[in-house]
Amino acid sequence: MTISKKEISILIEIIFSVLFTIIFLPYFYENLFTSFDFSDVAESADLQANSTLATKIIQIIIFAVIYFSITFSVLEFFYKSKTVLDERDDLINSKSYKLGYLLYEFCLFLFIGALFAALFANSSFQNNGTIIFLIILLLIMVSIIKSLYQLYLYRTL
Amino acid sequence: MDLKNSIKEYRQNKCLTQQELADKAGVSRQTIISIERYRYKPSLELGMKIALSLDVKIDILFYLK
Repeated sequence: MTISKKEISILIEIIFSVLFTIIFLPYFYENLFTSFDFSDVAESADLQANSTLATKIIQIIIFAVIYFSITFSVLEFFYKSKTVLDERDDLINSKSYKLGYLLYEFCLFLFIGALFAALFANSSFQNNGTIIFLIILLLIMVSIIKSLYQLYLYRTL
Repeated sequence: MDLKNSIKEYRQNKCLTQQELADKAGVSRQTIISIERYRYKPSLELGMKIALSLDVKIDILFYLK
């Protein structure tokens, strides 16, 4: 079974999502009940949590830049042929992004529904740590499903 | 009725590889493979480019069966 350059690029994206889930998601899970203050006048008690969040975001950015630089450099080294994007790629991309968009929209509606429900009950949604965790989880899930569907289409279409 | 094609036969008659035909038509080799296996139906523009690359009329290359 041969695998094309485009399929490897998609696999790289999937691996990134999995690594992100393993490395960075636990931090957001641990801070489910933390209230991050994004305003300039943060309370002294929240300062530590906010600075840790800022550090985490910087770590994520650095990790993403290093990961994609290394993986795509290695890919270019082994697959020297130029990638040709044609109408089949456009079709596959439009189908997979459509699925991703629909999933994201569906999850967002559920999320908004849960937020409204939380207004009437004393729930954990009152902490923005929970909201941040759920949004990141949602984005990772949709990204992985979209990439897997893209990979499936490249194999079957 | 499904859209079928004789790309593989004409390509082999011309002694062209899938990659060479793909380069002539300006698409990837995977796209040519998909079209030859009837998994992907090309646009009219791509169909004409392939027909031109193989020196065949488009209505001979693509047919309904």
